[in-house]
Amino acid sequence: MRGRLRPALLPLALGLLVLLGAGKPEAGERRVVFDQLGRRLEVPADPRRVVALAESVTEIVFAVGRGERLVGTTRFADHPPEALRIPRVGTYIQLDIERIAALRPELCIGTRDGNPRAAVERLEALGIPVYVTHPMGLSAMLASIREIGRLLNAEGRAEELAGDLERRIARVAARAQAQGRRPRVFFQIGVDPVVSAGRGTFLHELIETAGGENAAGEAEGYPQYGAEHLVRLAPEVVVITTMTQGADFEAVRRAWGRFPNIPAVRDGRVHVVDAAVFNRPAPRLVDGLETLARLVHPAAASP
Amino acid sequence: MRTPLPIARILRVKALLLPVFAAALLAGLAWGSGGGGPGALWRSIAGLPLEDSVLADIFWKIRLPRVLLAALTGAVLSLGGLVFQALLRNPLAEPYILGISGGAAIGAILGILAGLPRFPWGSLAAFAGAMGTVGLLALFSSWRTGLGKDALLLSGVMINAFCGAVILFLISVTSDVRLFNILSWLMGDLSLAAMEQVALLAAVTAVSAAALFFLSHGMNLILLGRDTALSLGVRLEALTWVLLAVTSLMVGVSVSLCGLLGFVGLVMPHLMRLLFGPDHRVLVPACVLGGGAYMIFCDLLARILPRQGEMPVGVVTALIGAPAFIFLLRRAAR
Repeated sequence: MRGRLRPALLPLALGLLVLLGAGKPEAGERRVVFDQLGRRLEVPADPRRVVALAESVTEIVFAVGRGERLVGTTRFADHPPEALRIPRVGTYIQLDIERIAALRPELCIGTRDGNPRAAVERLEALGIPVYVTHPMGLSAMLASIREIGRLLNAEGRAEELAGDLERRIARVAARAQAQGRRPRVFFQIGVDPVVSAGRGTFLHELIETAGGENAAGEAEGYPQYGAEHLVRLAPEVVVITTMTQGADFEAVRRAWGRFPNIPAVRDGRVHVVDAAVFNRPAPRLVDGLETLARLVHPAAASP
Repeated sequence: MRTPLPIARILRVKALLLPVFAAALLAGLAWGSGGGGPGALWRSIAGLPLEDSVLADIFWKIRLPRVLLAALTGAVLSLGGLVFQALLRNPLAEPYILGISGGAAIGAILGILAGLPRFPWGSLAAFAGAMGTVGLLALFSSWRTGLGKDALLLSGVMINAFCGAVILFLISVTSDVRLFNILSWLMGDLSLAAMEQVALLAAVTAVSAAALFFLSHGMNLILLGRDTALSLGVRLEALTWVLLAVTSLMVGVSVSLCGLLGFVGLVMPHLMRLLFGPDHRVLVPACVLGGGAYMIFCDLLARILPRQGEMPVGVVTALIGAPAFIFLLRRAAR
């Protein structure tokens, strides 16, 4: 009988312990921060064990020089190569709460763009603070670099990085401004079906900053396109992100090749770029921006 | 006509199934991606110190709600199958195949898209969706086309297909990130179970199971055939509607919390009938315990089979259940 009562009592007792522990100042220094959703949370002043709940967060943590503090990351985190050695905690959409808890993180850093809210709530119920980033565009991405730097006591490095990225973005924007014409750019995510990025996405912002006009700009979110619609859009530049280069990529190119009347096809301006660079709101996004700028305005980009 | 409650048999069935249920519960608690194992679980239950203190959190705060939610939803879906098999007098009926779960899912998705909080409005919307499907089924059955009992089941199958199409339609017209969450929930997902959800489903299940137990003699009489039941003084119309409402309520809430889990209501009632005979007064408690244990087992498989991460538990229930459906179809045809 005693044994059967335990399960009910244990969480209670543990909860009490956690509460008591949090109240004591000597139980490791803590401070209050607000995440990018404006939620108030209490985090260790110098968190040593951190789990990144998204690939982009992993890249940012490494970029601010705190990669060695990551004890867990999401399944597809492959950049920088050191990230491949970190234990996995599921995908950013389906997080493995158990495994995260087993890693005893002092802090989790997640993203509004994909992490289910219920997962964040479950982690916080276990007493693990979750800082949620909300990288909706280039400036928000820079802000999350600075915030993550502050969280991990790497403000100097983060500031340096963010400042550098800011200058690079400004340079691209200035060059784009100098070009009068804005070619219509169709950004293709995924092969089948053809999905593009409309207004309100950071890819839209990237295209605009690079000096293009988003061919999918009349739609919002991530619209889907059929062949008819593509011919009608008549983009001047097509940029395709693909995970698997090679056969897949050739198939997509051939698919576009069926419509030689589309300006981009006629002028040989159908390009394939690395999906990981464009999908993740991390420092590499600025590399993506520069790549995009070169593809949109080839003449202007060459120094 | 009413035979005395077979208390001895009910107790015997419970004595047989309780250890199975308890074993499933313990297994569900012991294994998972976060480590543990029976030894550590035992130490934690006995109150001995654990080498890895975080395991206590994993056992009692993460796995316990999940295992309990699995048990409850397994019980609900098994009971749902039991009721529909009696009402339609067709061994192939169950909430998923008949589209009741699909209707509930449409309700829940509309609720999510309308921005309603999942609790309690999402569950109520799911209940409304389930009732909608039941209403359609009742409408079809009242046509009396003389096509026999399979016509109603086929209507249900079509309603289910239609619900699937409506769900995909809703997903394609909303290009937004909430879509990802809807998709994993649709496949049946227990990974984010929380105690509040367990409490809600526990309350609904307790009331529904009690009601069904109370009505179980009526279900026995329905199986004797419509005319016989009427001649025995069963108020068939009223009984049918109460059974349908109770089932819709519990299935609706279960779907809104756990998503679509197919074929559970098929596998369990049959197994229980095979083991304990056709008396619903025995089958109702048997389905609660057996269905609960079965779902915990399926969820455990969903957690430990993939080398990385986990698969939706709906995949496991369908992998086991769809072949079982074919098997039962063959048997029924003979």
